[in-house]
Amino acid sequence: MRALVDIRESLNIAVSAIWANKARGVLTTLGIVIGIVAVTTTMTAFNGMQSAFRQSAAAVGADVVYVSRMPWIIMGNWWEFRNRPNLNMDEAEALREAFEGEAIVNPTMDTRQDLKYRSEIMEGVTVIGTTEKLPIVTSRLPETGRFLMTYDVSYKKNVVVIGTTVAEGLFGTTSPINKEMNIGPAKFRVIGVMEKQGGNTFGGPDFDRQVFIPISTYVKVYGGRHFGDVDIAVKAPSPDAVEDLEYEVIGEMRKIRKLRPAEDNDFSINKLDSLMGAFNSVVGVVLLVGLLVTSIALFVGGIGVMNIMFVSVTERTREIGIRKAIGARRHSILLQFLLESAIICLIGGLIGIGLATLVTFGINASGMMPASVSPGILVTSVVIAMVVGVFAGFVPAWKGARLDPIEALRYE
Amino acid sequence: MAAVLAPPDDEPVLQLEDVVKTYVMGSEEIHALSGVSVSIEENEYVAIMGPSGSGKSTLMNIIGCLDVPTSGRYSLGGEMVDDKSEAELADIRNRMIGFIFQTFNLIPRADILHNVELPLIYGGVGRAERKARAMSALDRVGLANRVSHKPNELSGGQRQRVAIARALVFDPQIILADEPTGNLDSRTGAEIMQMLDELHANGQTIIIVTHEDDIAAHASRSILLRDGKIETDTINPNPVRSAAAGG
Ligand SMILES: Nc1ncnc2c1ncn2[C@@H]1O[C@H](COP(=O)(O)OP(=O)(O)OP(=O)(O)O)[C@@H](O)[C@H]1O
Ligand SMILES: [Mg+2]
Repeated sequence: MRALVDIRESLNIAVSAIWANKARGVLTTLGIVIGIVAVTTTMTAFNGMQSAFRQSAAAVGADVVYVSRMPWIIMGNWWEFRNRPNLNMDEAEALREAFEGEAIVNPTMDTRQDLKYRSEIMEGVTVIGTTEKLPIVTSRLPETGRFLMTYDVSYKKNVVVIGTTVAEGLFGTTSPINKEMNIGPAKFRVIGVMEKQGGNTFGGPDFDRQVFIPISTYVKVYGGRHFGDVDIAVKAPSPDAVEDLEYEVIGEMRKIRKLRPAEDNDFSINKLDSLMGAFNSVVGVVLLVGLLVTSIALFVGGIGVMNIMFVSVTERTREIGIRKAIGARRHSILLQFLLESAIICLIGGLIGIGLATLVTFGINASGMMPASVSPGILVTSVVIAMVVGVFAGFVPAWKGARLDPIEALRYE
Repeated sequence: MAAVLAPPDDEPVLQLEDVVKTYVMGSEEIHALSGVSVSIEENEYVAIMGPSGSGKSTLMNIIGCLDVPTSGRYSLGGEMVDDKSEAELADIRNRMIGFIFQTFNLIPRADILHNVELPLIYGGVGRAERKARAMSALDRVGLANRVSHKPNELSGGQRQRVAIARALVFDPQIILADEPTGNLDSRTGAEIMQMLDELHANGQTIIIVTHEDDIAAHASRSILLRDGKIETDTINPNPVRSAAAGG
């Protein structure tokens, strides 16, 4: 009961003290506002990149090992990889046989082609030649129609499954299913439209601006059976098995390529982890910059608040004396000033998250990187602001609480 | 609480033994009090007089637990004050003592109801009871119709009446008044004295510092300080009583 009455009174005093010095309070919060904008924006950027990453992670598949000529993320000298031979369909076939009944192997090849439907043209769209196994590997499915089937691949059918951006671009509002369209030199019949993937992953591929055709048809139309650059996806039976699978795939590939023990791999193994590395390095920079700006701004802001609180305590020395003379304990005085600085910072924090939300929309609109606000982020930012307030207010509040009542009463 | 701390009848409500207060200013030592021993019974009405700088306020502050002696012993309500903690001293100031200052010492930003409520707030009294007690205290000093005024909207006499309401709101055993009429004209001063007389009639122990003989004449005992020592301590057999105050 006593503590409650105490807190209410302290809150009362704090609010009326701030109200009495509105202009000063607003100026004081400036540093806090900047700091909170920085911390909130850092978090929304991180949040946005993380969800974008999660999206591409789903497309890549956590339990899939990719064999490619080049690593996805090139560390070191790019020239070292220059002389590697392409992976070709024969090698993909050999790998499929090696893992028969053990793991799903899906080859893909890709190129860029211009698409045309009647008078509509889309230039430089990614054309992916693959098999019916792609949905199993990447968990991407068609929204309408169907995906490729075994006989499409076996009989080199001229059928295509298109991404949503392509569907909108070429067909507008009419249904693309069963329409004939041109992909480069050849005609294809649309059999399905993929689900929308959304969110362009920080510079990564646009998953909605792709079309899928049977890989056999791909070779027939665009060539490259013996020299084309094939990517081979091998899906582990379970996520835990990825590591073992990676070693087996390397072993089989070395056998297929007849590498001697002393020779380095002349192919690369890619997995989600390699993307993770890239993600972490981008995120690391954002976090580092964000953290730096945030801590400087909050520090400067905190010093500002501390200064104002010293002024506030000094101005009210006599009041402190009066309160002590009629029975206020130290902690009541301490609480009064801690609440004052916490509330000043709370106001700064609220203004800060408001501005940060606008900044986040701005970042998204600019297309620089994905960013997204969440309630958790906003709450965290406000809590950080109040913690800064409590820290900044502590020394002045302590000074006030420790004042000798007689000296405080005598203060003019 | 006052009832719990009330000493047996034969014991003084407060007792100072050889109390010394020394201020050190640079290399100089100022002896504000140099060995004061006094004991005051419950419901006594004591005036403390003496020239400026004789240590009256210093003595009041020590009695009121606002200050602690450099040496000597002080017991209040049968308990030694010397070894009490800060928090315990705050509680004593809160419940056992009502302080009235020459300069009123009201909180300027708060309205007078809130000013009077303050001791109850720090004593942890709930809102409803607090309002009721503060209202009745303001009623006793005749200011019930001014509750929402700020101190600077009141006259000096009215401000001192607010301060009296604040001092009596927790029904403390002892009322300490350090030159309560010092800033007031004589007619307003008389009004204030009438209220102190009433409090005395009500059973409270009153200690008042004053320079004026006609104020001191209200007390039943008069202590004269000089250079931090008690020079005389005399009984006044016929204290003056304000017309309205019984006794
Ligand atoms: N904080 C202090 N520091 C130094 N000296 C002090 C302090 N407080 C009081 N004194 C000195 O102690 C002595 C007694 O002061 P005190 O205020 O008790 O006198 P007083 O009798 O109340 O005087 P007045 O009638 O003018 O109010 C004075 O000499 C004063 O200068
Ligand atoms: Mg004095």
